[in-house]
Parts: sequence; C-alpha cells; structure tokens
Amino acid sequence: MSDVQRLFTEYKEAHQASDGKFDPGALIEQVSDGDRVELIALIDAYLERAPRRAFSAEEFRRSAAAPVAEAVQRSLAGQAGLWPALLPRLRNRARIKRADLVAELAERLGAQGQRDKVAGYYHQMEQGLLPASGVSDSVLEALGRIVGYGAAALRQAGELPAGGGVRSSPEADAVFARTHDLATVADAAESEPAAEPEQWDEVDRLFRGG
Amino acid sequence: MTAFEELPEHRLSELDDDQLIAYLRDARDAGMPGAMKPALGVLVYGYWDVLISRARIRLPAGDVEDVVAEAVMSAIASAFDGRSVGEFRSWLHTILTRRVADYYEAGKRRPKTTELPGERDDDEVWGVEPAEPFAGDALYASECVREAYSEVENPAHRSVLDLYVFGPHSAGEAAELAGGEMTEANVHQIASRFQKRFRELLDEGDTSG
Repeated sequence: MSDVQRLFTEYKEAHQASDGKFDPGALIEQVSDGDRVELIALIDAYLERAPRRAFSAEEFRRSAAAPVAEAVQRSLAGQAGLWPALLPRLRNRARIKRADLVAELAERLGAQGQRDKVAGYYHQMEQGLLPASGVSDSVLEALGRIVGYGAAALRQAGELPAGGGVRSSPEADAVFARTHDLATVADAAESEPAAEPEQWDEVDRLFRGG
Repeated sequence: MTAFEELPEHRLSELDDDQLIAYLRDARDAGMPGAMKPALGVLVYGYWDVLISRARIRLPAGDVEDVVAEAVMSAIASAFDGRSVGEFRSWLHTILTRRVADYYEAGKRRPKTTELPGERDDDEVWGVEPAEPFAGDALYASECVREAYSEVENPAHRSVLDLYVFGPHSAGEAAELAGGEMTEANVHQIASRFQKRFRELLDEGDTSG
C-alpha cells in the first residue's frame, strides 16, 4: 500500500471517528509534491460524497453555520438578493466599521453632505429592504472599491434569487415588516427618502433609480 | 392549492435536500419568511463541517469560513431560484469548487510586484492572498479523480468506489453491499484499477503541462 493510500485510509477512519471534525492537516504534511496533491484530491472526493449531517439544534446554535443560515434567510426573504448575507461579511473582511464605510461611500459618491441619507440606504441594502435593481452601478463601483469586491459580482449577488422576496401580498408585507424591524431602518435614515421619483434628489436616484 | 404547513425542526430534519428547498419556496409563497429559518438551519448545518473541511485543505485558514459562507449562500439562493443543476449536495460542492478556483484566479490577477504608495489600481483589489502554484495542481488532481471515476461504466464497480474507496466501508462490507457476484478480492481489484488510472491521469497532466 502506498503512503498516499495508507494516509487516505487513516483519514477516512479518523473522519468517521470524530464525527467529521478531524483536521487532515497533519496527515497531509507527511507527504510532499505529487503525493500531497494526490492525497488532497482523494480526501476532497471522499468529502464530496459525505451525506448531510443529522441535525442537532444545540450544536447548530453554537456553530458558525447559524449566522450564515440567518443571513441566507434574510436574503431569501428580502429584495436585495444575497446582499444581506454578503455585505456584512465583506465589511467585516475589509475590517471597516459601518460608519467609516458609509462616510467613505458618501465621499466617493460626492454626497458628503448627505451622509445620514447614504447611511439609511446602505442599511437597507444590508437588510435586504432596498430593491437591488434600483441601486446604480456608481454605488456598486464605489462600494466594491471600499470592500475589495468587484462591482459586477456585487450586482450578480443582488440578483440572486431572481425576483426574490416574499412581498407578494399585503399579508406578506406585514410579516416581512415585523421580521425585519423597519423601525430600525427609519431610525438609521434621519433624512427620510423622498417617496416619488420626481421628488428624488441625487442620492435617491443613485440608490433607487437604477 | 394546499395551505402551507409550518414544520418543527425535528420534522424538517427528516426531509431530504430537495424537499427542504421546496419547503423554503412554499414558505416564501405563503408570506412566512420566519418559517424558512429552521429549514435553512437543517440544510446549512448539515453540510457546514464537510464544506469547511474541503476548503481547509485548499485555502489559507483565515479565508476558509468566508469562502464557504459565500458558496453556501450562493448555492442555496440559486437552488431556491431553480437555477441549480442536479441534486443539491452535488451542486453545493460544485459551487464551492468554483469559489476555491475563483479565489486563486483572483490571486493571480493581483500585481506580483511590490507596489509603491499610491501605485495600486483599486480595480485589482480582491482581498485575497496571491495564488500558490500548488493550488492549481490540487484542483487539477480533483479533475483527474472525477475523470477516472466517470470512466468506470459498470454501475456495480462505481458502487464499489462509492462504498469502499470514497465510502466508510471495508472491502468485505462493500462486496456484500454491492451484491451480485462481488467478492472482497474484486473490490480490491476495482479500487486498485481506479487508483492506477487516477495516477496515470495525474502523470499525463505532468508531462503535458
């Protein structure tokens, strides 16, 4: 039996014994170059075939999967595709506070004097409350440069799932509002956005005019 | 049209992936986004560790969770939207594989030279480490596994690979589960042929590239 086969067998046994938590790093370190690549490919193929793990409510709530599931829920229920899931992660990854991000976004959009309004709109983007189709390329390009992500990829993320949201009926709207705490949005936007397109200023157009 | 019935976690955990996705759509159509939460919990929790394990063998530790989270979000959203291909588990892994490849592609696009202050083109910023040559080889090796597997046409032999090479079973158990005339010796032969072919494909890649 080759080293790769032996280590692969060891990995499978350890993976099963540890309920899927075994870290193969130490095993992979035992081989180099071609053998290492081969071992990684075999482990990868083995993991791809692993069945879905049985649910444990207690473990789930403690795991890193919980905030991801919550973010996906906000995305599926909102109007901004994956933005509620993606934007906070990008912000965290870029290690930038929301207030700083908003200040820079406002500056890049030439709206330094309307930082609060930009803050309100950005909050709505993170919460999935702002239709992605209305947000202009200028906003996505500016945001993308701040968080280190392509504008096109941001646009694409905002479009998944297509036509998303549960806002198909008055009842659905009521539930949506309850679950998404619209009051928080109103608080975040000290300058209330104009309701009608003819009353929009430049910031409204940037975030809602497409 | 039947009314949507909200299910508790223990009932949701009995549903398969496709049923969970369908449940999510039904919850949306019924205007009950809160009902999606436990179903998403079952789905995300069910694959989280295995996806983390896959990403961990290919990516720097600091980026593993981000790449996996983005893959999970994207895979569920597209499945929810009817844009996924095939069974959900396989789709989820395909998306993760693509994200890992994207990660290293993005790394390649980064300038290789040391930049002077103010020299950086912001369009090139993707927030990842430069690609390691090793990463491309590892992705190619995974392609070779898939190729070697797809060349096995006999369903019983594929079943042996699933049960023994890539599964939790011993050769004896795999022979028994595969049924028919399969013996433990046959299982070893099939596994050995597969491993030899996988190695050949890897070596072909070495000489051609």
